[in-house]
Amino acid sequence: MDKPLTLAGELRIAGKIISIRIRGQMTYRSSFIMQILSNFLVNFAEVLALFAMFYQFDTMGGWTLGEVALLHGMSMIAFSLGDTLTIGMDQVAPQIRNGEFDRVLTRPLSTWINAATSEVSVRHMGQLSQGILVLAFALTQVSIDWNIARVLMLIGAILTGVALFMALFTVEAIFSFWTVNGVEAINAFTYGGSDLAQFPMHVFGRTLRFLFIWIIPVAFVTYYPALYLLDKPDPLGMPGWFVLLGPLITGVFCCVVAWGWNQGIRHYRSTGS
Amino acid sequence: MRMYYELAKRSFQQQFAYRAATLAGIFTNSVFGVMLSSVYLALYWDQAENASVGGFTAQQAVTYTWIGQTLIGPVLFWGWWEIISSIRDGTVVMDMLKPMDYFRYWLCRDLGRGAGKVLTRALPTLLVGAILFDLVWPENWQRAVAFLISVPFAVTVSFCLRFMFNLWGFWLLDHRGVSSLVILLSGVFSGHLLPISWYPPAIRDFINVLPFRSMMMTPVEIWLGQVSIALGLAMQVFWSVVMIGCCYLVLHFAERKVVVQGG
Repeated sequence: MDKPLTLAGELRIAGKIISIRIRGQMTYRSSFIMQILSNFLVNFAEVLALFAMFYQFDTMGGWTLGEVALLHGMSMIAFSLGDTLTIGMDQVAPQIRNGEFDRVLTRPLSTWINAATSEVSVRHMGQLSQGILVLAFALTQVSIDWNIARVLMLIGAILTGVALFMALFTVEAIFSFWTVNGVEAINAFTYGGSDLAQFPMHVFGRTLRFLFIWIIPVAFVTYYPALYLLDKPDPLGMPGWFVLLGPLITGVFCCVVAWGWNQGIRHYRSTGS
Repeated sequence: MRMYYELAKRSFQQQFAYRAATLAGIFTNSVFGVMLSSVYLALYWDQAENASVGGFTAQQAVTYTWIGQTLIGPVLFWGWWEIISSIRDGTVVMDMLKPMDYFRYWLCRDLGRGAGKVLTRALPTLLVGAILFDLVWPENWQRAVAFLISVPFAVTVSFCLRFMFNLWGFWLLDHRGVSSLVILLSGVFSGHLLPISWYPPAIRDFINVLPFRSMMMTPVEIWLGQVSIALGLAMQVFWSVVMIGCCYLVLHFAERKVVVQGG
């Protein structure tokens, strides 16, 4: 086997693969443009629904439109980036079934990077741009006492969210090493997680809160950072420094997922001929 | 006619084959049901008890979210591209050569699928909702029956929408571009994302004159008693007929266009 690549080297190759795939997609120009446009449209509808809710009601769990929009914007940005970077994970299950996954294993590149870049889709650019617009709208509606710490908190929260959603999409692929049945239950945590992150955590019941604070730490992507940005006390009684646990809990989650991925790779037996 | 019945029966039976997938579906629908119910209830926190906003009390809004999750299985609001895959791998030729009406062939299969999903997905999901939340039930047995009758019409309108988008594949051969459009039409305009009466008047009136509300909003209104049984069902029948007519029209043009791939 050749000399193993450094992480920087692997990322450079991943970047190259991604740019080739994007250029490949752009050759189908009308489909390419339509994907971005329609993704923008769908997400616009979801934003419209948020505005419609506040057209009928003044507050949600005591939070105003601007405050809930802040959660929406942060969640949409983190989810769209995380999904874009790991969209190839959707292909793992079909690749395992038809034996194509062997290709991932034989290449001199990290199996995870290889699988994640096996497909690239830019359609989530529609959601990303929407998320940025919603975040911008939210920032005009709420008064935040900006300082370095708060700027870092906003950026850090979004980066934490990107990592978390990348890990969550990987979980779906990990399960497909063992079974093809019932994998869609993970949707409750990926799409469910990003939906849940768009609303204040204290409106949910004990079970959902426990799950999305301690097990799949979605609460640290939007809710706790937003409390800090808005200088609100936590209605659930956690102290102010609790938000700083976000990267730690997310890190633990990512490590577990990485371990699971390696177990999956080890468990894999080719079905190809 | 016998043949179409057998087709529907096969699709119906198929729904009982994948137990793990069914459980996963019920689980996902239930998690979303709990989540959305919590969000909707939070909107009513500073409203007076039993206050009705946009035509819904808090209890009715929660019931709405659970009917929505219940209908996902049978009505299938997004992602069904079997005809496009059949165009891609060439089996579309076999389907078209069968001594059957091409549209009715797929419709019967989808109605059979829907009926199977009512038993395997919808009822269990509704049961979870009924255990966890205090739902509003139809005020009399006539409404309950009318709701059950409204479901196959919801499936029919939804099927026609999906059928037409699949036929688009005869021209495009790729569904990625249009798949989001289906989500928009069937997710938003059906009333699945938010009760239609909550949108500002201009948007609400626009959505209300479109056929897609038959897929979700009309069944909900029949359940909750927001529309008379006769009017609700009549609207659904009307839109089903219109949509089926549109399907045949599109099919007429698509058949001339078919490109066979694969060997």
